[in-house]
Amino acid sequence: MLIVDKELCVGCGICEDSCAFGAIEVVDGIAVVSEACTLCGACVDNCEVEALRLEGVEKNVQVDLDNWNGIWVYCEYRSGSLSSVSLELLGIGRKLADARGVKLAAVLIGADTGDTADNLIAHGADIVYRADDPGLAYFTDETYGAVLTDLIKQHQPEVVLAGATAIGRSLIPGVANTLGAGLTADCTQLDIRADDGALLQTRPAFGGNIMATIVCPSSRPQMSTVRPNVMKELEYDAGRTGEIVDVALEPAQLDSKVRVLESVQAENDDVNIQESDILVGGGRGLDSEKGFELIRQLASSLNGSVSASRAVVDAGWIGYPHQVGQTGKTVAPKLYIACGISGAIQHVAGMQSSETIVAINRDENAPIFDVADFGIVGDLFEILPKLISKIEGYQKS
Amino acid sequence: MKIIVCVKQVPDAKDVRLDPETNTLAREGVQSIMNPYDQHAVEEAVRLKEKLGGEVTVLSMGPPQAVDVLKQAISCGADHAVLVSDRAFAGADTWATSYTLAKAVNKIGAFDLILCGKQAIDGDTAQVGPGLAIQLKIPFVTCVQKIRDASESELVMERMMDDGYDVVAVDYPMLLTVVKDLNEPRVPSLKGKMRAKKAEIQVLSAEDVGADSAKIGLAGSPTQVVDVFPPPPRGERAILSGSIDEQVEQLVEKLAAYL
Repeated sequence: MLIVDKELCVGCGICEDSCAFGAIEVVDGIAVVSEACTLCGACVDNCEVEALRLEGVEKNVQVDLDNWNGIWVYCEYRSGSLSSVSLELLGIGRKLADARGVKLAAVLIGADTGDTADNLIAHGADIVYRADDPGLAYFTDETYGAVLTDLIKQHQPEVVLAGATAIGRSLIPGVANTLGAGLTADCTQLDIRADDGALLQTRPAFGGNIMATIVCPSSRPQMSTVRPNVMKELEYDAGRTGEIVDVALEPAQLDSKVRVLESVQAENDDVNIQESDILVGGGRGLDSEKGFELIRQLASSLNGSVSASRAVVDAGWIGYPHQVGQTGKTVAPKLYIACGISGAIQHVAGMQSSETIVAINRDENAPIFDVADFGIVGDLFEILPKLISKIEGYQKS
Repeated sequence: MKIIVCVKQVPDAKDVRLDPETNTLAREGVQSIMNPYDQHAVEEAVRLKEKLGGEVTVLSMGPPQAVDVLKQAISCGADHAVLVSDRAFAGADTWATSYTLAKAVNKIGAFDLILCGKQAIDGDTAQVGPGLAIQLKIPFVTCVQKIRDASESELVMERMMDDGYDVVAVDYPMLLTVVKDLNEPRVPSLKGKMRAKKAEIQVLSAEDVGADSAKIGLAGSPTQVVDVFPPPPRGERAILSGSIDEQVEQLVEKLAAYL
């Protein structure tokens, strides 16, 4: 509970201004706390007369926080390939490990991983824990979760990172919950706090309208999933050295109540849009499925992928895996070209972290132009064919 | 078949903004809605009930006004509704929320299936569904896009992956989180609305569900928010000018680095 000392409160209102949730208000000269209070403590820190305090929220601090050390990256391996976010995480993981003066380890779980472990070392890992077994050919939360959980219990890393992918966002919440560890989803920035070495995890909330920084003050490991395409991978360096540890597996770890019957790979058009450097997004302004064909042509001229607004997916012009926005995917490509997308906040929430945004729309008042670095107002059916031929011409020259 | 659906009341995303001057949430005119993914979970539960028989209980954790979304679920075909609500839950992160919901589920009693939306649109974490399954020690499948076959003993379904989908089979009990491809939620019937109006919502406190005070609210949360701030602003509106040909020309020059 947030307690207001009525004797000390002077009704100055500083607490009102310091509350991000509008949960404290001065009524008749005294601060009053409402249901919306999240006990974040911002008002307590700002109160100049020390009239506010948090009570009954002492955490049971794990006694051995200092016994946990090392930065770990869960490296996702599926259907014979390593996800690109794994290498990006080794990039940021290396920085965090160096800042803490500890080792960087990669955890590789799968079957027939070949020389992947060497690749992970060449991208910055000091140690690779490799669980390679035919029983791990298909991902299940139970099998992968058991292997990762047991490794974490055994080696006690202070930080565990994973990609905010379909697998990462399923596996890691289960593992974190089993361990009672704090987990922050979809981080876009990670830093080490100078005074105590804690991991500062920054993530967008409320559809990207707010950024929040989160810590795990009382437990280890500190766990984060990190958005693809945000962190930078290190250059491949065959000169880097490291240790590969093959993990001995228990039969119980390979047991799963979820039986995978089949794994269906998407067709060519259906690449994972979260991993694309260039995305061409189409919206209602394309008028028809036939109009949407222009988006595919533009994407192909740029060697990029196709994404879409919710309206287009609901109309059935393209599948749900291509939907960007609040109820679709969050993407952060180097280049996002929005064509005939008005830019409702639900869409913008999913793409506003893109490096460069281009908007093409016939309505000059469309909100998409508010987030665009370059905008063209006009008829898509006139502009897109010209743009495609110009790009093709440029690439030939 | 006993089905429990977890739903959350969330602010409508388009209304939520941080005032960059004061760093506080602009709250005026913010509408509360049922989390969109949860609507698909409710719909699927009602369809399974219609196919296999049984009953659907909707469960929410939140402030007293969250009864609104529970009533909405009843109007769409759910049979019972339970709200766990207590000031002691304030500041709960996803761990403390999963723990609290698990306690509430145990209070509700035996179940075969728990359905949750993939994630809530205010937090976007997607952590409470898997967390709840772990607390209850049952298997879970996330991002279910299609139920291919539902029988008395098992479900066969498609789970969305980044590179396609996996077809998986699981025996009850289990927990699923669902995406919006799964179904098209129905519009409440007049009869449903009448039922919702009359429905009694059971409200449970932390004590009612037997929650350990060290595991709920802020005290039970391993994560803590230490700062909130507005995202870095993007540049000014930069609309190109000239004829269409000239604008296309300029754009290709600007994008040269990506070509």
